[in-house]
Amino acid sequence: MSGTNPAFRVNGRPVPLGEVPGDEVLLDTLRWRLGLRGTKEGCRSGGCGACTVLVDGRGRLSCLSLTRELEGTEVTTIEGASDDPVGRVVQDAFLEEVAFQCGYCTPGFVMAVTGVLREGGRLASTAELLRHLGGNLCRCTGYVAIARAVERARERLP
Amino acid sequence: MAPVEMVTPATEAEALAELRRGPPEEVAIVAGGTDLILDLEERRLSPRRLLSLRRLPWHDHRWDDGRLTIGSAEPLASLEADPEVGRQYPALAQAIAAVGGPALRRQATVGGNLGRSAPASDLTPVLLVLDAEAELLGPAGARALPVDRFLRASRETTLEAHELIRSVRLPEPRPSSAYLWQRVRPANDISQVGVAAAYGAADRRWRLSLGGAPPRPVLVPEAAAELHGPRPKPAEVEAAALALSSHPALVSDRRASDEHRRRIASVLCLRALEAAVDRPAEVP
Amino acid sequence: MNGHARPDGPSKVRGEVEFGTDLSVPGMRWGALVLAPLSHARIRSVDLSAARALPSVTAIGAAEVHGLVGASGEPERTPFPLGEVVYRSQPVAAVAAPTLEAAREAARAVRLDLEELPAVAGLETVFPEWPGPEAKRSPHVAAHVLARRGDIARALAGAETVVAETYRTGAVQQVPLEPHACVAEVTGDRWTVRTSTQSPFGVREDVSAILGLPQEAIEVQGTWVGGGFGGKGASLLEPYALLLAKAACAPVRLALSYREEFLLGRSTLPMVVRLETGVRGGRIVARRVRLLLDVGTSLPGRDFATGYSIGFLLGPYRTETFEVEGYAVRTNKPPFGPHRAPLAPQAAFVAESHLAHVARAVGVDPEAFRAAHLWETGGTTSLGQPVGPFGLPAAVQAARARAAEWRGRLPPGHGVGIGLGFWSTNTGAGGEARLRLGTRELVIEQGEREIGSGSVLVGLAEVASRRTGVPFDRVRVEYHGTSDAPFDSGVYGSRTVGALGRAVDEAAVAVLVTVGQRLGASGTVTVGVDGDRLVARAGDRRAAVEELLTDAERAAGGIVGEGRHYGASAGIDETLVVDGSFYPYQDFTGAAHVAEVAVDPATGGVRVVRYAAFHDIGVVLHPGLARGQVEGGVAMGLGAALTEEATWSEDARLTNPGLVDYRLPRLGDVPPIEVTFVEGYPGAGPFGAKGIGEPPIIPVPAAVAAAVEAAAGVHLTELPLSPERVARAVKGGRTCGAGDAAPAR
Repeated sequence: MSGTNPAFRVNGRPVPLGEVPGDEVLLDTLRWRLGLRGTKEGCRSGGCGACTVLVDGRGRLSCLSLTRELEGTEVTTIEGASDDPVGRVVQDAFLEEVAFQCGYCTPGFVMAVTGVLREGGRLASTAELLRHLGGNLCRCTGYVAIARAVERARERLP
Repeated sequence: MAPVEMVTPATEAEALAELRRGPPEEVAIVAGGTDLILDLEERRLSPRRLLSLRRLPWHDHRWDDGRLTIGSAEPLASLEADPEVGRQYPALAQAIAAVGGPALRRQATVGGNLGRSAPASDLTPVLLVLDAEAELLGPAGARALPVDRFLRASRETTLEAHELIRSVRLPEPRPSSAYLWQRVRPANDISQVGVAAAYGAADRRWRLSLGGAPPRPVLVPEAAAELHGPRPKPAEVEAAALALSSHPALVSDRRASDEHRRRIASVLCLRALEAAVDRPAEVP
Repeated sequence: MNGHARPDGPSKVRGEVEFGTDLSVPGMRWGALVLAPLSHARIRSVDLSAARALPSVTAIGAAEVHGLVGASGEPERTPFPLGEVVYRSQPVAAVAAPTLEAAREAARAVRLDLEELPAVAGLETVFPEWPGPEAKRSPHVAAHVLARRGDIARALAGAETVVAETYRTGAVQQVPLEPHACVAEVTGDRWTVRTSTQSPFGVREDVSAILGLPQEAIEVQGTWVGGGFGGKGASLLEPYALLLAKAACAPVRLALSYREEFLLGRSTLPMVVRLETGVRGGRIVARRVRLLLDVGTSLPGRDFATGYSIGFLLGPYRTETFEVEGYAVRTNKPPFGPHRAPLAPQAAFVAESHLAHVARAVGVDPEAFRAAHLWETGGTTSLGQPVGPFGLPAAVQAARARAAEWRGRLPPGHGVGIGLGFWSTNTGAGGEARLRLGTRELVIEQGEREIGSGSVLVGLAEVASRRTGVPFDRVRVEYHGTSDAPFDSGVYGSRTVGALGRAVDEAAVAVLVTVGQRLGASGTVTVGVDGDRLVARAGDRRAAVEELLTDAERAAGGIVGEGRHYGASAGIDETLVVDGSFYPYQDFTGAAHVAEVAVDPATGGVRVVRYAAFHDIGVVLHPGLARGQVEGGVAMGLGAALTEEATWSEDARLTNPGLVDYRLPRLGDVPPIEVTFVEGYPGAGPFGAKGIGEPPIIPVPAAVAAAVEAAAGVHLTELPLSPERVARAVKGGRTCGAGDAAPAR
C-alpha cells in the first residue's frame, strides 16, 4: 500500500510518487515533472476542460486532481490516446470532421470524448454523449464540428 | 519551505489522531480536492500537511429501508449512477446534476460541499428540505446535527477543530421533491437562485428552501406553511411563491439584482412545486 | 466536400503541437508580474529589496529598465509606470525565480507605496450628461471625430417622423483558451523572444518602441497559438520577459494566469450611442449618430477605435444627409484593444435594432425598410468610399426566404429575426512572401504562424496551388522568425488570404514567369506532378523543374519568386470630415443571419433554437475551413449577444475575472448552424476572395435581438441580452415605441 513506494501508472508506465509534494496537481506532474506537455493548461480551475485526462478510464480534470491522491491508478493522457482502441477512433473522427482549429482544446476534448464513449458507448444517443461534454470549452470551432466528430466516433466504436 | 506532506490514514482513529497532531491551520482535509486546490492556489489556506480521506470507509452510500446515508467522501458521480437516488429523492438527483460537469462530479463530494458552505451550493437547499443530518466524528465520538444548524455562512460551519464530517443522513425518502435553479447558462455556472421543495410523508408537511444568495441557503418555513397536504391548491402555491420571493436573503449582488432574484424565486417556486406534486408522495 | 486536409491535423489530435505555454528550455526561470492593487494611484515607491532577498530571485522595476537596456523607449510606452498607476493590475514590477511558486512568493514580497487617487470607472463618471461642444478639450477625451454632409438640423426638421433612441453595449473579452505566454533570452546584444502571438513583426516593432532597442537587435519567433481573436495582435508580455531575461542572465518564461488574462485583457469596452433618424415618405432623409466610447487608458493620439467604429453604426445603408460624432473617453481600465471584428458586432446590433425600430414607427416592414436602403454593388458609402462588388443584397434575399420558411411553422414563445452586418478587409501595413519552386515541392516562406483558422497553413497554400497548378499536397507553408522572414503585419483583420495571400500570388506569378522563360515558351505556365517530380508545362513545352534549375538555384533549393502587397486605402471624402480621423474601410463584404429563439418570458431565459448564416465571400477557397470560421464566429457572437459581459465596480475593479462569471458559450448553447456562401461578387483578394475570419461574428447580436423582439414582443436597447434585461423588458411592457434604455444592471 502507500508509505514505502507509492506509485501510479501513466500511459502504462509506472511512475514513483515518493518525491511528489502533497499539494502538486496532476497537470503539473504530467507537464513539468514528466515532460508530457500534450495535456494543456487552461483556466486551472475546472472550468475549461483543457486539462482532461483519463484516470482508470474515466475523464478527470488534472488541474484539480492532487497527484498523490492518484496512487495506484492508471492515468491515460493524450500521448497514450492512440494506444487505446477507443482513443484512436476518436482521434480519427476529429481529423475527418476537422473538429479543431487552434488545437489547444483538442487534447482535452479527445480524452473527454474517449472517456464518455468508453462509459456510454453505443448505448447512449449522440445528444446524451454531448451533454457529458459541457465541461469542455472551445473558443474556435463553435462546437459544431466537434459534435459531428462525436457522432462519427460513436458510429465507429470497436 | 518544506514541501507539503500528504498523510493517508487507514482508519478513523488514525485520521482523528492526525488532526490533533498540530495546530488546526497546519492541516487541510482532502475530500474531492476541487475546492481545496483553489484554496491552495489562491492562498486562502497554507497547510503543512494534507489529510487524505482516501482510505477511509466513507466512499459509499447505503440504503436502510429507503433511508439514505451518504459517505462524506463519496464522489457525486457515484450517487448519480444509482437510479434509486432519483426515485427516492428526485430533488437530490437534480441538484447533483447541477454541480459543475461530469468530470468534476467524479471528484466533488457531499462532505466537501457541506464543509465549504458556499452560498450558491446546489446541494445545500436540497439537503435542507430533506431534513438531512450531518454526522460528525471527533475525539469524543460521533454526533449528528441537522444541516440547517451545521451551516452558518460562507466558509463557516459549526465543525469543531478536531472533527471530520463522516456522513450525511436523510431520514426519510421524499419522492415528492424537486430542485430547480436559474443561471444565465445551464451548466458550469454558479446559481443565481435555486429553489428546493419537498413533501414529508411522515409529518405531512412541506419544506421550501432558497439558495444562491449570501450568507447561505435557507429554509423558508413561512412559505412552506402556505401549503397543505400532498396536493396544495393553486392559491396556496401562489401564496407560497409570494412568501418565498419576499425573503430578505434575495439581495442584489454582481450576479443579479434583487428584483430579478425575486422574480426568479417566484417562478422557480411555482415550477418546483408543480414538478414535486407531479411525483408520488410516497414510494409505491 | 470539406476541401483539402489540414496539414496540422495529425499533430493537433495527438497533442504534439508546442504552444507558448508549452515552451521549456534548460536553465529556464519562471517570471511573474507584480500588478497594481489600485485603479488610480500616485507611486511613491516600489521596494524590491524583500523580493531580492529571497534565494535566486531577480526583481526589476521602472528604475532598472534604462540600465538593463542602455537605451530609452518612447516615453509614453514605458513598461513600468514612473509616476502613476492608471489601471488596476497595471504591471509595476516583475520578478523571476527558479520555480513558479517562488516567483509568486517573490512578487508578493514586493512592497508598493501608493497614494490612492480617484478612479474613473466608466462613461457615466466622466459624462453624466451628454457632452457639449467644449467636451473635446477635456483631459478625459482621448479623441474626437466629427463628419457630416448636408444640413442635419434642417433635414431632421423637415422629416415627417424623427425617432430618437439611446443604446448601451457592454465590454467583451477575447478569452482564448491559451493565456499569453513567452520565453525570452538575451545573449550579448541579441534579444530573442519566443511567443504566442498573431503578429511576430508587430511584437518586434512594439518591443523596439517600448525598450528603445533597434529592431535588428530583436528576434521574435512565433509559436503555435492557442487562440488569439485580436488579443494577441500586439505585444504584451514580451518586453517584461526580455528585461527579466537580461537581468537574470538566464532564459525566462513569463505567462499570464487565467485570472490575469482577464485583468490585463485589452478588448472591447462599453459604449453609449445616441441615434436620431428622420423619415419622410418611407425613406430615410437624415441620420445623426453620436458615440461615447470607453477606451480605458488609451493614449491620446493613439485611438483607432472611434473613427473606425462610427461607420459601423451607420450600417450598410445609404444616407445623403448625416452627421456622426464620437468621443473616445479615457477611464481607469486597461487600454481598449481589438477583439474579433472590433466593436462591429455591438455596432451592428445598434444599427439594425434602431432601423427596425424606425421602420415600425413609420409602419413599414423592418426587413423591407432595410433592404430598400442597402448598399449595392457600385454604390458609395456615406463617407464617400466605393462599395465595389457587394453580395449582401443577394445574401439578404436568401436570408429573408429562410426566415419566411421558419416563420411558417413557429411554436408559441418562439421568434425569428434577421440581422445584417458588413466588414472591411483591410490590409494592415502590408505583407511579403517568397516562394521557392523545388524539384518536388513548392515552399512558401513567410513570417506568420497558424493561429487556428487555417488561413496561413491552408489559405496561402490554396492560393499558390491554384495559381501555379502545383497540387495542394505538394505546397508547404514554411514559418520563419523575424530575422529572416519576409515582413507581414500579422494574422488579424481577416487579412491573411486577402493581403498576405496577394503577396503569395504575386510571388507565384513571378515564379511562373521565370519558369516560362526557362522553357522558352509563351502562353500559360502550369506546374504539375509526374510521379515524385514537379513538371512544368507551357504551350507544347514540357520539362521537369529539376531540368530548369541553374546551379545556384539547385543549391538554394529552387526557383525563387517574391511578392509584396501594400494596399492603398480607399479614399474617404475628406471634405466631409470636420474633426479627427476616420479609419478607411475598403473591400467590403457582408453577411445576413437568421436566428430562431425561444424566450421564457417569466425568467428572461433565451434559447437559440436554430441559426442560418449567409455570407458574401467572393470565392470559397476551402469550404470546410470557411464553414469553420462561420460556425466559430457565430458561437462567439452568441456569447456577445446573450451572456458575455465584463463589468467593473465603482472603483474600476473588474468584478468577473474568471470563467464562472464571464460566461462563454458551451456545447449545449450553440444550435445547428446552416451556412451558405454567396459567391460571384469578387473582392480584392486572390481569385476574388474576401476575408471570412471576422464577418461571422458581426450580425449575431443583431439577429438574436430581432428574434427576441419577435418572440417576446419587447424592444431591447442594451447588450448583452441577459435574462434579467429580457425579463425586465417583458415585465415592464417595453414594447416597440419606447424611447431611452433602462439603466444598466
